[in-house]
Amino acid sequence: MSATIALRAENIIKYFDQPERFQVLKGISFDVQKGEFLALVGKSGSGKSTLLYVLSTMDTDYEGGLHVSGEKMTGKTQNELAAFRNSQIGFVFQFHYLLPEFTALHNVMLPALKLGRKSRAQIEEEAMAHLSTLDLRDQAMKAASKLSGGQQQRVAIARALINEPSIIMGDEPTGNLDSRNTQVVFDIFRGLAREKGQTIITVTHDEDFARNCDRVIELSDGRVISGVH
Amino acid sequence: MKGPVNYEIAFVYLTSKLKQTLVAVMGVTFGISMYVFMNSFMTGVNDVQTDLAFSALAHIRVYNDGPADNTDLVRKVYPEGTLSNIRSARVIQYTEGIKHSGEIIHFLRQQPELKAITPEVNVNVFFRNGANKVNGTLSGVDVENENRVFQSATYMLEGNWNALKYRNDGLILGSGLAANLSLHVDDNVNVLTADGNAKTYKVIGIFQTNVTSVDKTKAYLSIGATRQLLAKNADYVTDIQVNIGDFHQAEKVARRIAPIIPYKTESWQASNQQLEAGSRLRDIIAVAVSLTILLVAGFGIYNIMNMTINEKIREIAILKAMGFNGKDITRIFLTLAMVIGLVGGVIGLLFGYAVSVTVNHIPFRIASLKYLPMAYRWQDYSMAFCFGLATTFIAGYMPSRRASRIDPVIIIRG
Ligand SMILES: Nc1ncnc2c1ncn2[C@@H]1O[C@H](COP(=O)(O)OP(=O)(O)O)[C@@H](O)[C@H]1O
Ligand SMILES: [Mg+2]
Repeated sequence: MSATIALRAENIIKYFDQPERFQVLKGISFDVQKGEFLALVGKSGSGKSTLLYVLSTMDTDYEGGLHVSGEKMTGKTQNELAAFRNSQIGFVFQFHYLLPEFTALHNVMLPALKLGRKSRAQIEEEAMAHLSTLDLRDQAMKAASKLSGGQQQRVAIARALINEPSIIMGDEPTGNLDSRNTQVVFDIFRGLAREKGQTIITVTHDEDFARNCDRVIELSDGRVISGVH
Repeated sequence: MKGPVNYEIAFVYLTSKLKQTLVAVMGVTFGISMYVFMNSFMTGVNDVQTDLAFSALAHIRVYNDGPADNTDLVRKVYPEGTLSNIRSARVIQYTEGIKHSGEIIHFLRQQPELKAITPEVNVNVFFRNGANKVNGTLSGVDVENENRVFQSATYMLEGNWNALKYRNDGLILGSGLAANLSLHVDDNVNVLTADGNAKTYKVIGIFQTNVTSVDKTKAYLSIGATRQLLAKNADYVTDIQVNIGDFHQAEKVARRIAPIIPYKTESWQASNQQLEAGSRLRDIIAVAVSLTILLVAGFGIYNIMNMTINEKIREIAILKAMGFNGKDITRIFLTLAMVIGLVGGVIGLLFGYAVSVTVNHIPFRIASLKYLPMAYRWQDYSMAFCFGLATTFIAGYMPSRRASRIDPVIIIRG
């Protein structure tokens, strides 16, 4: 596998058993290059979220192979995967999941505190910087539950960036944002991919957003129908 | 260092739902304080019972058990089936009391457990005052040692215990006995022995142990004066009373020395099994009741922990998605439970002490008691604390394990 490949999916197949057995992902294979800004598109129900959970290593119940940053993910234990996610993968959920009792700042800091590579003061400074870029400096000390939907979404994005992961994944990360903030997020992702070589994989419904990415992979009914080189 | 961030998260959870935390803390507080109180109370009751019992009872008593069963002497000498016809068999020689008491006392003094020892000459007599005649026990005592074994001086209502030592004609009467004979201090009382010896003594004191059977029948005289009354030599003793360091060990010590002493050697447990049974039963009740309360408190914590985890199931999934592993999650929620246990435990100890002190001030005037009895032993407090922490640990561990096994995708996918 080439050193420039950030992620490789090999014939990924997934079934749901409830309410009845049905195949969601029907053999998906593609490579993502380091520093690539990739959009996953497709109709609702085509399997985008399901695929992203597999790629993010959270879902281990699939057939096929997954490699991230040259390491084989398939077959690792839950604890190994958790440690890997902590340092290598940033994830922005479809529904901005924050810890409501913690401040916005604290939410952003948690993955870095868990990683434990930097001092608390340094982590706090970096978290503050991310919040400022996302126009959230004033909200830093508010409890996450007191923020609006759009603000929460941006805090979640800041949280995904804090450990400088090699891959950032988002499930409609701009779904709750107005066009101005969508543009801010896009610019951040663009910059991370170009300047820091971080890989971005994001599900989106926003056609403008997708059009400006490096590559668009389209899913339909559990298969890739376009976008694989 | 396994991530102080876990403790940080636990702390936020503890403080953000303060009311729920307080309810859980109160559960532990209640359980532990009741444990402390119940056990202190029962120990107090047992101590009072023991004090009461040992006012008339030594830990070990050595005495002459009386002659063996000699109703069929022939059988012991001649083979089975020998015909014999003996009527009106009579014992012609039988030693009363303990011979060579000096040697036995010397031997007993060498036992490492021994705390106090006193020889006694006990004899059944009639106490007479004019027409009043009451059957009772005259106890000839070694004044100082008797006090060491039985704290006799503390039971004196009137007069001075030590005066017995200097007054060969002085007698100390039980309060009931004095009342029955209409006697007061400085009155005279006549003592009549079974052998027909009689002598008049002066009442120099009155005691009350609150054990009615003792107060109504017993009188003390110095051991020398008693021997004089009975016309016995200076070695004559009927009972040797022994106290050891730990009265629970009496049975063991008695069993060890019994084969060496040619007389009956009896522990207080053997002669008063109902006391031992009573105190054991009270201990069992105390432990049963307090463990039940702790169990209920444990269920309280278990429920609150489960509720908290159900409430936070999404947050647990997010933490796991961000890279927290199962152990981190267990640690977060176990920390939560243990802080509740520790805080509840410390408050519980203080509260238990407060309840004990309060109950200890409730008047209860029976026998020698003035207030409800209470013991303050560090053992009860440390046991309560350990049991409390163990309960919280178990009650917190099970839900925490469940939380650690949550599969984040299932929750996040919805
Ligand atoms: N937990 C689940 N159990 C059963 N079926 C599911 C589950 N989650 C999603 N699905 C189904 O799998 C298909 C793909 O869903 P999803 O990946 O969420 O699609 P998308 O994100 O592209 O809208 C849909 O038909 C959906 O109904
Ligand atoms: Mg979706």
